[in-house]
Amino acid sequence: MKRKINYNLLAGGILAGGMLLFILIGCFVLPYDPEAMNDKLRFAGISLAHPFGCDNFGRDIFTRVMVGARTTLAVALGTVAIGAGAGTLIGALTGYFGGWLDEVMMRVIDALFAFPSILMALVVVSLLGPGKYHVILALGIAFVPSFARVVRSQYLKLKEMDFVKNAQILGCGPFRIMFVHILPNTLSVMVPTVMIGFNNAVLAEAGMSYLGIGVQPPDASLGRMLSEAQSFLFRQPMYAVFPGLAIILLVLGFSLLADAVS
Amino acid sequence: MKYVGKKILTMLLTLLLVSFLVFLCFTVIPGDPAVAKLGTEASPEALAALREEMGLNRPFMVRYMDWLLSFMRGNLGESYSYESSVGELLGDKVPITITMSLMSMLMIVVISIPLGLYTAHHEGGILDKVIYAAGQVIMAVPAFFAGILITLLFGIILKLFTPGGYVSYSKDFGAFLAYMFFPSLAIALPKSAMTVKLLRSGMIEEKKQDYVRTAYSRGNNTKGVLYKHVLKNALLPIITFLGMTFTDIIAGSIVVEQVFGIPGIGRILLTSISRRDYPVVMAVIVCLAAVVIVVSTLVDLLYQRLDPRIRLEVRK
Repeated sequence: MKRKINYNLLAGGILAGGMLLFILIGCFVLPYDPEAMNDKLRFAGISLAHPFGCDNFGRDIFTRVMVGARTTLAVALGTVAIGAGAGTLIGALTGYFGGWLDEVMMRVIDALFAFPSILMALVVVSLLGPGKYHVILALGIAFVPSFARVVRSQYLKLKEMDFVKNAQILGCGPFRIMFVHILPNTLSVMVPTVMIGFNNAVLAEAGMSYLGIGVQPPDASLGRMLSEAQSFLFRQPMYAVFPGLAIILLVLGFSLLADAVS
Repeated sequence: MKYVGKKILTMLLTLLLVSFLVFLCFTVIPGDPAVAKLGTEASPEALAALREEMGLNRPFMVRYMDWLLSFMRGNLGESYSYESSVGELLGDKVPITITMSLMSMLMIVVISIPLGLYTAHHEGGILDKVIYAAGQVIMAVPAFFAGILITLLFGIILKLFTPGGYVSYSKDFGAFLAYMFFPSLAIALPKSAMTVKLLRSGMIEEKKQDYVRTAYSRGNNTKGVLYKHVLKNALLPIITFLGMTFTDIIAGSIVVEQVFGIPGIGRILLTSISRRDYPVVMAVIVCLAAVVIVVSTLVDLLYQRLDPRIRLEVRK
């Protein structure tokens, strides 16, 4: 029998892998200094030396996309780490123990879930001030409810399974059961959830940096580049297209992967 | 009725909790509002007097109840940085955001239902595959970048609208609606792609059910079965999804407003955040959260009305 090719996995793997490789290379070698300004190259078009052209200060856009994508990736990873970490802990506790703890926590989670995540991140940033680490914290907190809900529903289902009863009879403590026995079984649901969360984090970070309340200069970020590029849309449309394209490829890659594994 | 009562009670509790959390955040964490209003150069006496006047010396719970009660009476507080009340400040901006949200919602429905039906009906066809691939790409586009691309394509290349040429609704309502078309489209496009995907998979799932076979065996034609039986069931999850999408539309409108230079709720929220004008930020956040909570409760109730299976389950 001919094996059916999973096109989602293939395309997603190529796109996500390619973008990650692009960012990884950018960590070690950059074609130009991302901050180097050159008056002669202002709005220079696409050329071999500058494949994406140059911006309003004559900075190489290719280099800046490389650096900006790195920042965006770092923020998204940090966000998912906080969101998934805290979300898993809350979801596991509420799902496994139930009772009043569940009632209280889920009410709070529901209340938090009522906020669009970007709005919640705005609250945190308006209290703490902008900057890379505040954005990670803000988005991380904003992403906790969605992870907590998914994990909780998994724990509610899995705690009734025979292997859990078995472990209980063997005398395992609740925390051992929760994190050694049940947690690995949530993996098939958690992997796509984390990927989708990662995508939402990329989009949210880009949105916040675009609004000017996210990553602050001198850190380059794709969202910030887009907001700068928008003023020069008439003169240099390519300035806006490439950072946007980088976001799309990154998100598309991971959403295809999430589709493929779920 | 018991179900409705329980939902409404939960909604009120959630609203209360949200208002409490927001009040807690904005009174405990930031600096002194008196300093914010008078500046750091102010004399200690003036600050103390203002604190007394603003009621900052009273216990936390008393201040919360006070704020909540006046909030419910429609008094949203006084802005620190603008010389006017928050209510006045937001009043003329609310219609802008509402128009944009409703327009995007309408576009999502208009775009996604026909496409969802078509792709489900022609599953595996060329156009189905093209729509699927295009949908995957469109879903990955952030709304504000969609806005920039739309500005580039329709505004600069095709010259169908003037970028930044916002017209107030009080001046010329027709021109206002025309200008709002493209921002709404920027919000609606990625969401439509998601809706199409969801509707398509829902329809395909429903088509496999026994009742569909029965309907065919009774001699119904394909169109009759699809529109009368399958669509009804496949639309149910879409209603929930659209309810959730409403949250994203409102959040998206904050960002997209900036792309198109629309002076709506988003702009006032952002300027207030940068000026640390907390009464305005608080009011906007609580109002937006309230809208979202009320809408999601309404969607739950509507869903229960439309799907008798849920009604039965609740009764059990």
